[in-house]
Order: sequence, then structure tokens, then C-alpha cells
Amino acid sequence: MADLFGITGKIARVDLTTETVTVIEPAEEIYRKYLGGSAMGAYFLFKEGIFDPKLDPLGPDNLLQFMIGPVTGAAPNARITLVTKSPYNIFCASTCGGHFGSELKYAGWDGIQVVGKASKPVYLAVMDDTIEIRDASHVWGKGVEEAELILKSEVLAELESREGMIRDADLNPEWAALRPPKRLGMHAKRLAHVMAIGPGGENQVWYSCVVTEGARAAGRWGAGAVMGSKNLKAVVVRGTKGHKLADKKTFLALVSGIQKSERGDYFWRSYGTAGIGANSAYVEDAFPIRNWQWCSWADPHVKAITGPFMDQTSFVRKVSCYGCNLHCLYPVEVTSSDPLMDGTMSDMPDWEAMGMVGGNLGYMEMDGVDPDKPFTGSVKDQAEHLAKLQYTTFIHDDNSLDFIEGGANIALLMELVQRGFIDSGDLDGIDLQWGDVHAVDELVKKICARDGIGDKLAQGTYETARYFAELKGKPEIMNYSMTAHHYGQPAHDVRSPADKNAMEYVTVNRACAHTGGGTAGFKTGDWAAAIAGQNVSAAQNSLVHCQFPAGHWAGSRIDLIKAATGWSDFSDEDLQLVGAREYALSRLFEIHIRQLKDPKAEWDRQVPPRWFNDPLPTGSQKGAVAYEGKPDVLFNEALPAYWKERGWTEDKGVPTLDTLKKLGIDDVAGTVASEHL
Amino acid sequence: MAEIKRRDEAPKPEKEPKKTETSASGVSRREFLVGSGAGVAGLVIGGVIGNQVIGKPAAPAVEAPAAEAPAEGEVSLYKAGYNLVFDSVQCTGCMICAEACSEKYATFLHPEETANVVSLEFARIRPMRFQYVDVINVCSYCNLYEWAEGSSEFPCEAVCPEDAIITVPEGEGEEGYYGMGYKWVDREKCLGIDKCWRCAEICEDQFASGMSFDPIDRKAQVCSRCGGDPECVKACPEPGALTWVPAARNGRYFANHPSDYAELLYRKIYNHVREL
Ligand code: SF4
Ligand code: SF4
Ligand code: SF4
Repeated sequence: MADLFGITGKIARVDLTTETVTVIEPAEEIYRKYLGGSAMGAYFLFKEGIFDPKLDPLGPDNLLQFMIGPVTGAAPNARITLVTKSPYNIFCASTCGGHFGSELKYAGWDGIQVVGKASKPVYLAVMDDTIEIRDASHVWGKGVEEAELILKSEVLAELESREGMIRDADLNPEWAALRPPKRLGMHAKRLAHVMAIGPGGENQVWYSCVVTEGARAAGRWGAGAVMGSKNLKAVVVRGTKGHKLADKKTFLALVSGIQKSERGDYFWRSYGTAGIGANSAYVEDAFPIRNWQWCSWADPHVKAITGPFMDQTSFVRKVSCYGCNLHCLYPVEVTSSDPLMDGTMSDMPDWEAMGMVGGNLGYMEMDGVDPDKPFTGSVKDQAEHLAKLQYTTFIHDDNSLDFIEGGANIALLMELVQRGFIDSGDLDGIDLQWGDVHAVDELVKKICARDGIGDKLAQGTYETARYFAELKGKPEIMNYSMTAHHYGQPAHDVRSPADKNAMEYVTVNRACAHTGGGTAGFKTGDWAAAIAGQNVSAAQNSLVHCQFPAGHWAGSRIDLIKAATGWSDFSDEDLQLVGAREYALSRLFEIHIRQLKDPKAEWDRQVPPRWFNDPLPTGSQKGAVAYEGKPDVLFNEALPAYWKERGWTEDKGVPTLDTLKKLGIDDVAGTVASEHL
Repeated sequence: MAEIKRRDEAPKPEKEPKKTETSASGVSRREFLVGSGAGVAGLVIGGVIGNQVIGKPAAPAVEAPAAEAPAEGEVSLYKAGYNLVFDSVQCTGCMICAEACSEKYATFLHPEETANVVSLEFARIRPMRFQYVDVINVCSYCNLYEWAEGSSEFPCEAVCPEDAIITVPEGEGEEGYYGMGYKWVDREKCLGIDKCWRCAEICEDQFASGMSFDPIDRKAQVCSRCGGDPECVKACPEPGALTWVPAARNGRYFANHPSDYAELLYRKIYNHVREL
């Protein structure tokens, strides 16, 4: 094989049932088509037959992939994408920052794929070429924070793990006499990186995530549950091989250009995503408050959701992913008069957390005061509100739960209590009122342990709504499920025209993702532009790099791919094709695994009824509903036009055989497509 | 204890390289620590490069810019009596310092083998992430107090059976390394990780984790402070994380075992007691 650059050409495939590790070596052509990450993961879901509708996402046959791309490694803003069949029976391609992705490349891999199920809890220790399946019983049951720190110390490079050789004779007598009795040998280096699940993942809560570095998560669509179903606690990787690059000099020059540009970006360098809060709540009117009953506060004094307030109250550090100069994560130590929360280590909260487990749970108002009333508390009250938010972030992270879906789930229950559909009797005695962090804490514990009602709630917001709708014989309960395609809506609303457009959530290939791109195109009805935006976003998840610095990457991205791989003719068009392939494959995947006969009715229209039923009650966009209140225009005109632009059928949104041929993926997906055309 | 005086100006150019005594092995140390004061920069590329030729003439166009002798009154980049001060609270764990350091030394010591590789394994500075804290891990230059261990050497230097860890006197040594006396591993003498790891062990046992081994020759590597102009300091994007300052000398009080240091940082930053 010719020398490979950028990529290593090797993906490890670990079968936990048979305890074997094999190496897959995809042809370079496959990498050119899919790059890596999410697109390549989608390809393997087809190649390995994971599209089989009978294949249980939480059964041993599901394939869990940790995928990186050609620039992951020495490039900044490294991420990793976890691709699998989600427990929600949808496509899962969830990305995560930190150092794990780079380290995996340094170990010589483009990805790790896991199938089967271990007979007892295990973790994978990846040390360059060596991959061991090791016992994890000592960390099973532990939160991700504790587990990660333990596992990190267990995977050392060969050079780092020698026993001691110094004898007293090697020292002078005074020193030998002074030397402490414990002889440590050489085990001090802690250079491995860990992705792990906590109790939520172990107990296969559908919305459990996979966490690294305490607070960075491949958050959405339940990769953690798949990991848990395989009895896989963690993957630990240490790599010493470096990243091979076709044109190192150019590559490094581009990297330092990106980093320099990031250094001037004081939006991110000040508060990370926390900088968005006030804008969304007061200018855009698009912030989740009490399960989206409100999207702004009457009183701009509600400022605990703003970067400056958080910083003044609690930010103690700034934390970067590999090579990043934006450092969007700000760890905190929670300070509160409530012993439940006081002293908890947590982070920020970031944008999604402050929305989904903050405003959405009614944490930000004084007791008994509605969001449309003036704020009656003091700055101390606001600090306590922030503490609740940070604490709730922590319990989700440490238990490896997606706090977006988790926040949607709990907010739904709170609204059902508010409206009298359910009461504490339905929640094992927990009196779940807006703003009550103790009740939330108890409930999350039950969900993680799948204890009592927690076992039902562990299947996420949509199933929670369905359960109570059936139990109570009240189908209108479904109206309060803030889920699109059965997954919780993140903290951007579509009713306010200032934020996202409904088409964005309807068309994005990963259920209700807020990072799908194309916003401007969707707002103006320029489908080609919208699609181009979505394709770039998918390509970013395939490369794999963070989307926050996308602007700093934009001018260098193609050159960086070329310098890494040596594919001198790789173009913007090729990048677009990567995204188009991922979109076609993931669309077919969902249609097939759910066996949708009429995808539009059965799937695409499955969006939160509130979008159209409940106009924004207050704020700058008071009265607004989604898509100007015209769902029929959305689903019967816009959506078919978008599908057409993608080369998919206008009635069902199925990629045509012709389109698949043009994309060069008819061999992988043609048969499945013809079943649904 | 060897004294290094603080000095904020460039050393005087030396016409004649200093003479050094012949070492026990019979090889004159001067042969591979070729004098290279600022004024005569670029004449000779030194020979402490692995197994390569000693003292070969410099190629006409060298990548590393030779330092100019500073004009009267101008302050030189290369400063003696300075130290690397690191503040792990300010560090964000971005690894840019490690990548810069590694790149510098990989290109310097193994230009061919690493022509197409970026690796962190040549880095003399390796920040380590312990979740919510990042520990900047780099040699602290912990010269010992004579009254305690009966030695004024670096601990790693003291335990090296081959005298491979050396301090290059001020004004001598590699091209590009002028200002201060810097620490260096004589790669001719170092036995390599397969035979010996005493320097790394004593460091990890009692001090920090400043030594590492390159993956090509498998020889010891340690921070040389880039001879007075540290690459990591220039590369670090975070104000205050890495600084190059006229600072206190005895580095052993800066040295910490990485996980001990992480525990201290958890206490300091988060009021938390964590066992690591
Ligand atoms: S912006 Fe944040 S998530 Fe993105 S690479 Fe930087 S630190 Fe990581
Ligand atoms: S920190 Fe380690 S390598 Fe540096 S002088 Fe001390 S013992 Fe030697
Ligand atoms: S470059 Fe600076 S901020 Fe980044 S890891 Fe090194 S010391 Fe820390």
C-alpha cells in the first residue's frame, strides 16, 4: 500500500463477545469519499448491516464506532464522532471534544469499532497498536469523574511504566539515607485520555452520553446506552506514534494561522457559549423557560444565564480541547447556601445547559413568580439560581446523561404537574415543582438507577409523554413533548424568527440537532445554500473538527485536508459530496430501520405541537409561531422543494438511484433505497 | 552550588571558544560543545545530535535564524539567571507548548525521520490533564541543596552513571543557544531507555516528571530552556501560563509529581480533596 498521510488506514474492530481485535483497512478511496467521523460511520452502518430493522440498538449486534478524520491529530479543535444505531432507533453521530480524538490518531488509528457484548464490565486499553480488553469491575458503578481519573493512571506507554532500578549505591550516602522508603518506579506520567460512561450509561438510560475530561460529552442520541449495553465502561487511549502528514510545513503554517485567528476571538475567549444567554433570552426571544411556555423574561435583571454573571460568580479556569485557543469550557466550584449543591465541581453552564437544565426547569425565577413578572430577588438569589443550574449540569454529566434530552424530559414532567395531568403519586412521591432542585436531584437518581418510575422515564421525553398519555387516557399530553423526531429540542427555538427556522430541525439528519447548519438558507428559502451549510457541517463532523471555530477554519479547511493527506485535487466540491453522502445514507438509514411507509406523515411531521399551537406569550417576538403558522407550507411545499434540491423524491424524501449513483454510493445503499422509492 | 548570575543582556561575543577539560571517556567535551557565542553564530553546527558527525561545518542556509549580537543598549532575547515559571491555573491544556517544543526538537535531532510527522513525544514540556485541572509538567531545574543530599547537582544528573546530563556553560554550546547555561543530555553518552532510566526514575520518585525519552533513539530528553529563549513560552497563548522571568533559583521547590500537583490544584482551585 502506498504511504498514507493524514489518515492511518487502520480501524480497530473489537468484538467483545469473542474477545478478539481485528484491523479493518479501508481503501484510500473510501477515505476520500467519507473522510472519517460521521460520514464514514454512516457508511459502516450500511456496510455492516446495522440498517437491519430487527437489529436491537441495545443488543450485542449493534456497532458502536469511535471515528476520527484525516486532520484529527495535529490539527487544532480536535473532536471525535461516535456513530451507532441510537436506542431511539434513529441515526446517532455525536461529537465530542477534548484530547481523546487526537490521542487516537497518535496511537495509529482512524477509529475504533466495537461489537458484541462483554460477559462482565470491561474497558478497552489502547496503547498504540496494542488493544487490550481489561476488567472494569473496579470502576463499574462509579461516576465518570472518578472512573476517568482511575483509568487514566492504568494505561501507560511502555517507556512510562518501568519498575525502579535505582539502588542506594547509585546515590551518595547522605542522599541514600534521606531517600523516602517508597520506591515508585516510573509511573508518574498521565498522558492517556479516556471516554467513559457513568451509571446512566451502565443502566442504559436511552439518553446517556459518553464523557471525557469530566464535562465534555458525545452528548446526544444515546451512545452511552449502547456502550452500557455492551458492558463497556470506557475506552482509554495513549498514542506515541504521531500524525503523519503529506506536507508538514504547510500543515503547520495553516494550523498556526487558525490558532492566531482564534486568539483574537474574544467572544469565545471570554465566556464560551455562555456569552449567548442574554441575547437569546432578551433579543431573540428564543430561550427555553418552563418547557418553552415562555422564551424570554419580562425583566432583563434575570442575568444568572449570562456569561459575565457566571464569570463574576464562579468561573475559575478555562479549558481547551487539543490545540484550541478558544477554550470554551469554564470549570466552576458551586457556591451555595444549600449543602446539596455547595462545593460541587461542575462547569459553566454552557449554552445548552443554561437553557435546558436552567430556564427550562424554572430555576431562574423567585418562588411563585411567573417569568412574565418582574424579578423580585437579589443578586444573591441569582447566584443561588446559577448554583442550581450548575449542580444539575453536574448530575447529568457525572452520570453520563445528555442534559438537553434530560432537561426536556424533566421539564415535560414539571409542566404535566403544573397542568394537573400528573402529581407526586405518579412520580414515586416526588413533588416536582418548577425550580425545585432537590426534586430534580431525586428524579435524576431514579432515572439513572432505573428505579421505580425512573425506569419509564429512562426512555426519554417522547416515551415519557406517551406513557402518561396512555396511562391517563389523555392524548393531549403529547402536546407538551418538546421533541422533534422523538428527541428533545435543544435550547434554540423556532417560533422566534430571530433564531432557528423550523425547517432546520425538520431536515437535519441527526434528530433535532442544533448544529446542523444552513440557518441562513432555511430562513430565506434558498435550499441550495441551506444544503451547502448542512453538508459543510456534516463534513466538519467527518474531519473531525469543532464547529465553534468554523469561521477560523473556513479559509484553510481544504488546504489543511490537502496538506494532511496529499490529495492535491481535493476541492470544496468533494467536501460538499462528503456531506451529501452522509445525508443520503442517514436518511435511508432512518427510513429503513423504522420501516416508514409514508415518511412525511410518520416521521418528518413529528415535531413539537407547541411550535404551531402556542404563540410566544411575551417578549420581542410576542405572538410568533413556527413557520409563520403555516405547517402545510412547511411540509407540503418547503420540504419537498428541499428534498428535490437534494436529489431525493418529493413525496417521501428518498434519495433516488440516480442521486446515489452520482454520489458514488449506489453500491452501499442502492438496494435499501429501491425498497422505499 | 554553581552560581548563575542574572544578566539581562547578551553575553559578550567570544572570539575563542572556551577550553574544557577532557572527560573520563577521553573525548574532549569541547568537541561537541562547540563554542558559539552570539558574535560568531553560524560558524559551526554543534555535534550533540545523536550519533551524527561532530562539529561539521554549517550549511550556508540554516533554518534557525542565528542571533545577531544586540546593538549597544538593546536587550537580548537570551537571558541568564532567568527561569521558566508556570502557572497551571492559567493553563488551558491546549498542548500548543508541547507541540511547539516537540516540533523544534524533532526537527533538530531527527529531521529526516520526522519530516512528515507531528508527534508530542519529542516534547520536553508535557502538560497533563487531570480532568478539571491541567498540570504543566516540565523540568524544574531542581539543583539540590548541598547540606541535604550532599550534592549541588540536578538529581537526575547526580544519578546518571554516564555523566550524560550536563550543564553547558554560559556562552557555549549549540547554535541558537547563547544566553544562559543550559541543561542538555549528551546523547552520545546516554545509555537509552532500554538500558537505564535512572534520571527519569529519580525525578518521578522524588521530584516531578521532567524526563522523557524520544521514540527514535530512545535517549533521554529534558528541557534545556532553549538556551534562554524558550519556544514554549513564545507559543503559549495564555497570558501568565508560561513566563520567562528573573526568578528564584532552586527549582526543587517548583517540582511536583504530576498527580500530587493535580491534587494541590484541586485544593487550591476547587477546595476539593481528591485522591489521584
Ligand atoms: S471551542 Fe471549545 S469545544 Fe471547540 S475545540 Fe475549543 S475548547 Fe473544544
Ligand atoms: S525536575 Fe526532574 S528532570 Fe528536572 S532537574 Fe528535577 S529531577 Fe531533574
Ligand atoms: S501552551 Fe500554555 S495554555 Fe497551552 S498547554 Fe501549554 S502552558 Fe498550557
